Amino acid sequence: MTGRTVSASRRRRSQPHLPLQILLGFLVLYYLVPFWWVVVNSSKDAPGLFGGGNALWFADNIDFIGNLQELFTYNDGIYLRWMFNSALYAVAGGVGATTLAVLAGYGFAKFRFAGRRFGFAVLLGAVMVPQTALVIPTFVLFSELGLTNTIWAVILPTLLNPFGVYLMHVYARDAVPDELLDAGRVDGAGEGRIFLNVALPLMRPAVVTVLLLSVVAAWNNYFLPLAMLSDNRLFPVTVGLDMWQGTAGGNNAGTTPLWSIIIMGALVSVIPLIIAFLLLQRYWRGGLSIGSVK
Amino acid sequence: MKRKPFLGAVSVFAMASALVACSSGDDASSGGGGGGASGCTNSIPKEDLPVVSMWAWYPNMDKAIDNFNEQNDEVQVCWTNVGEGGDEYDKFQTAISSGTGAPDVIMLEADRISTYQIQDALVDISDYGYDEVADNYGEGAWKDVSIGDAIYGVPVDGGPMGMIYRTDIFEQYDITPPTTWAEYEQAAQKVKDAGGPLFGDLGANVPALIMALQIQKGATPFEYDPTQPETIGINLNDQASKDVLDYWAGLVDQGLVGTQDHFTPEYISGVIKGDYATYISAAWTPGYLTGSGVGEGKDAGKFAVAPLPQWDPSSPVQVNWGGSAFSVTSQADDPELAAKVAYGVYADEETLTDGWTNQIIFPLNLNALHDPEFVNLHSEFFGGQQANKEVYVPAANAYEGFTYSPFQEYYYDAMTKQLAAINEGSISGSEAADRLQDDVVGYAEEQGFTVQ
Amino acid sequence: MTLQMAERTQRTRPKTRKAGKVSRREQATGWLFLAPFALTFLAFLVAPLLYALYLSLFQKQLIGGTSFVFLDNYSKAFTDPTFLDGAWFVVRFSAVSIPIQMLVALGMALILDTVTSAFSRFSRLMIFLPYAIPTVIGALMWGFLYSKSFGPLNDVFGASAPDFLSSQLIFYGLLNIVTWQWTGYYMIILFAALQGIDPTLYEAARIDGASAWQIALRIKIPLITPALLLILVFALIGTLQFFNEPEILRELAAGAISPDYTPNMYAYHQALGLANFNYGAAISFALGGVVFVCVYVFMFLTRKRGSFF
Repeated sequence: MTGRTVSASRRRRSQPHLPLQILLGFLVLYYLVPFWWVVVNSSKDAPGLFGGGNALWFADNIDFIGNLQELFTYNDGIYLRWMFNSALYAVAGGVGATTLAVLAGYGFAKFRFAGRRFGFAVLLGAVMVPQTALVIPTFVLFSELGLTNTIWAVILPTLLNPFGVYLMHVYARDAVPDELLDAGRVDGAGEGRIFLNVALPLMRPAVVTVLLLSVVAAWNNYFLPLAMLSDNRLFPVTVGLDMWQGTAGGNNAGTTPLWSIIIMGALVSVIPLIIAFLLLQRYWRGGLSIGSVK
Repeated sequence: MKRKPFLGAVSVFAMASALVACSSGDDASSGGGGGGASGCTNSIPKEDLPVVSMWAWYPNMDKAIDNFNEQNDEVQVCWTNVGEGGDEYDKFQTAISSGTGAPDVIMLEADRISTYQIQDALVDISDYGYDEVADNYGEGAWKDVSIGDAIYGVPVDGGPMGMIYRTDIFEQYDITPPTTWAEYEQAAQKVKDAGGPLFGDLGANVPALIMALQIQKGATPFEYDPTQPETIGINLNDQASKDVLDYWAGLVDQGLVGTQDHFTPEYISGVIKGDYATYISAAWTPGYLTGSGVGEGKDAGKFAVAPLPQWDPSSPVQVNWGGSAFSVTSQADDPELAAKVAYGVYADEETLTDGWTNQIIFPLNLNALHDPEFVNLHSEFFGGQQANKEVYVPAANAYEGFTYSPFQEYYYDAMTKQLAAINEGSISGSEAADRLQDDVVGYAEEQGFTVQ
Repeated sequence: MTLQMAERTQRTRPKTRKAGKVSRREQATGWLFLAPFALTFLAFLVAPLLYALYLSLFQKQLIGGTSFVFLDNYSKAFTDPTFLDGAWFVVRFSAVSIPIQMLVALGMALILDTVTSAFSRFSRLMIFLPYAIPTVIGALMWGFLYSKSFGPLNDVFGASAPDFLSSQLIFYGLLNIVTWQWTGYYMIILFAALQGIDPTLYEAARIDGASAWQIALRIKIPLITPALLLILVFALIGTLQFFNEPEILRELAAGAISPDYTPNMYAYHQALGLANFNYGAAISFALGGVVFVCVYVFMFLTRKRGSFF
């Protein structure tokens, strides 16, 4: 590209596109409305919530601190535990699933072995099996093994990520040259060392992508823990908040203003992942553009 | 040499597992206690006594358990809250199906007892100390937790029904509390004609309320004799059932009542703003509304309660909506010990008093129900009205008990669908009753019952 | 995202090694790398599926207990109006929601690819944000927003505000939640693909007098077809498994959303609510089978054009 065309393209690109920018403004509003509602309403007490004031603006009595205190002390502070559980399930499940996917994807891409074609066909089929359809039978199996109502009941099934394997396979096949591996073998390095020192660094962008997808999927998980867990101290925050919503909807919250707590809980629960996404922008944007940048 | 580096690769995964194992250490040690109990929310003061596990969701359950454990020298309770109503039932059902994981004692609403009894999930506790406490509860209360002569639960709280109303709206439109359903409709019409708010609400998600109102008119939804468990009588479209559904469908059709689901923030908002002049409800409702923030703002002191309107004022019928009991599950290691807990928890004076003074329960225990302090209580929510004395206690005393089906959940779901159809205006009340009958009879037959 | 690369690789990958001469060692190493995943796969996919299949061959009644009925549960499922209604809802919902999600995501990606300002970068992030929200929390928030007088709708529209929790409008209520939740994520995938297109193509087109609109239509969209197909598959799988959003909204709209609203909810409710694991398993299996076949057929049909897998 010559300098002239670059500046020409700059000039074109820097056009204000005012109508489009306005449209974008409306889109942003749409995507942010629920967040705004939650932020505003987590500051209200029960009369503020239900009293018929403007639902999109603060009530006279702004009480973030009070609601936060209620949230973290209600039921002996179980909310914090739920957040911790969510983080545990997301990290353990996400890291585990990614590890398995990296190993298997690399194996599929770089080795020939009996059953490889068949295995890969089965894998592609598995990408399409709805995970939710597996929950009920897995639950029955686990209950016969006495594994329900333990953290393993949530973490172990999360390790399965066929799409991650597929993604790693495609990436490893393209990004890791056979010649490099063969060179390593000629030098006498073991397969494990070759994988760790040669292949893994080359696969890093795809690893980040798969990790991101797995962690988010595990963090969002609801159906699986809902079916598996009965001890509320093992709940992730999704199931916990749902339980509170059920309690608020039934008669038995007593005199605690549970709706305020639920709304505050919803707000607090989304903060960690939002922060993670904002901080890790460089990584996930890079990860998601795998293959189309090159 | 060949394998060693590979182990390094696997160690990434091992590290992930280790992370999990470390951070879950304390769960593993405290969980998995006896009788399928999974970790107690309370601490157990007398550690050398046998422990009975329990699921319950009353908000002052922690106090009830502490009181019980302190006073009892035979057994200690390990309590946890796995969710309210349906959430708990799903988990209990799960535990029944898998044969493990249920607590020794479980809180159930009375209408679910048949459901679990037919699956052999509950223990008949009539031989484990029933005689000692028989006089503590009324006949209706015992009937709700009995199947034939067998006792499958200990009553704790009930839901005798009444009509909560807005004094400001009644004054504004010059209405006195209707005593019959005919008057209720007239009053509703009068308010509407004067441009007033809705008079009440038909929530699709409160089938148990509608069932109670049908029984009030003389319907007997289910007839079930435990000595012949394979036959059941189902009468969901008899004249009384149809009349009640037609009545409410008529109110909906004329725009006299709303069609909002109950127990939602939307409904609470409506109650606070005065969108509904009345709320046909049970004795636990004031507590529920207070907890949701009703009666704290501009609506403070605007609520009062009157007896439930009647069909025939010369022979009034009192009905019940909601209320719970403690049952012993068949997964209990020591049913007799568990029965002691079921009979004893939430039955001491201190807990009961805490329960009713904080509007958590409407007690069925006669020691509380007939306690002058309770009867004469001036309710803050009702602006000082003696609600118990005027409405709820007489209703509780006159309540005769219901017979529930062993597939109550299916029945409620089916009724919710029909109520939703009524609210949409797509069918009449009678049609809804006929469809409900077909639906539930079909399910019962599919489940192997002979329907009479 | 990876598809263009996959396409290229399939065409250009050099065959460095001769087939048929695979050493024992390579075989073993390949399987070693595969083993952890293969074990998970057997334990958490194959075993549950086989077990579901086994369970689904039995019938459990409240009276009479459990008996072997072979395929009766399946013949029942495929004539069960509740299951068929649920399946039909999912089909209708997919037919409406997937094109909408894809169009919205594509539109936004094209705008963000065209407009490069600080505000557009900010917008990109904000539009992506709902992806970080668990679907349960998203549904919870929207459920509050839909409550007419509790939420803002009455403030904005007055008494004639639409009630998205009513039986009539719940479809659109769910549609909006799904669109809000996922379009940002799809947009990012498409945007990444758009950014990967060589800009000199646009220059050439502009010299030929093409408008921005024509460039988008004739150059950009055809070049990101693989990414479009990818999000189509994502959306398809996601929608066919619909569970979380209606299950959460049910607590606010029990009249509009029955416990058997989608096949997944039906299976869950049969298994855990009504103690009928056998029929629940049959529904799960039937659903899984249908989804599997549909998506596989779809992939087969689009294989050549987009070179999917």
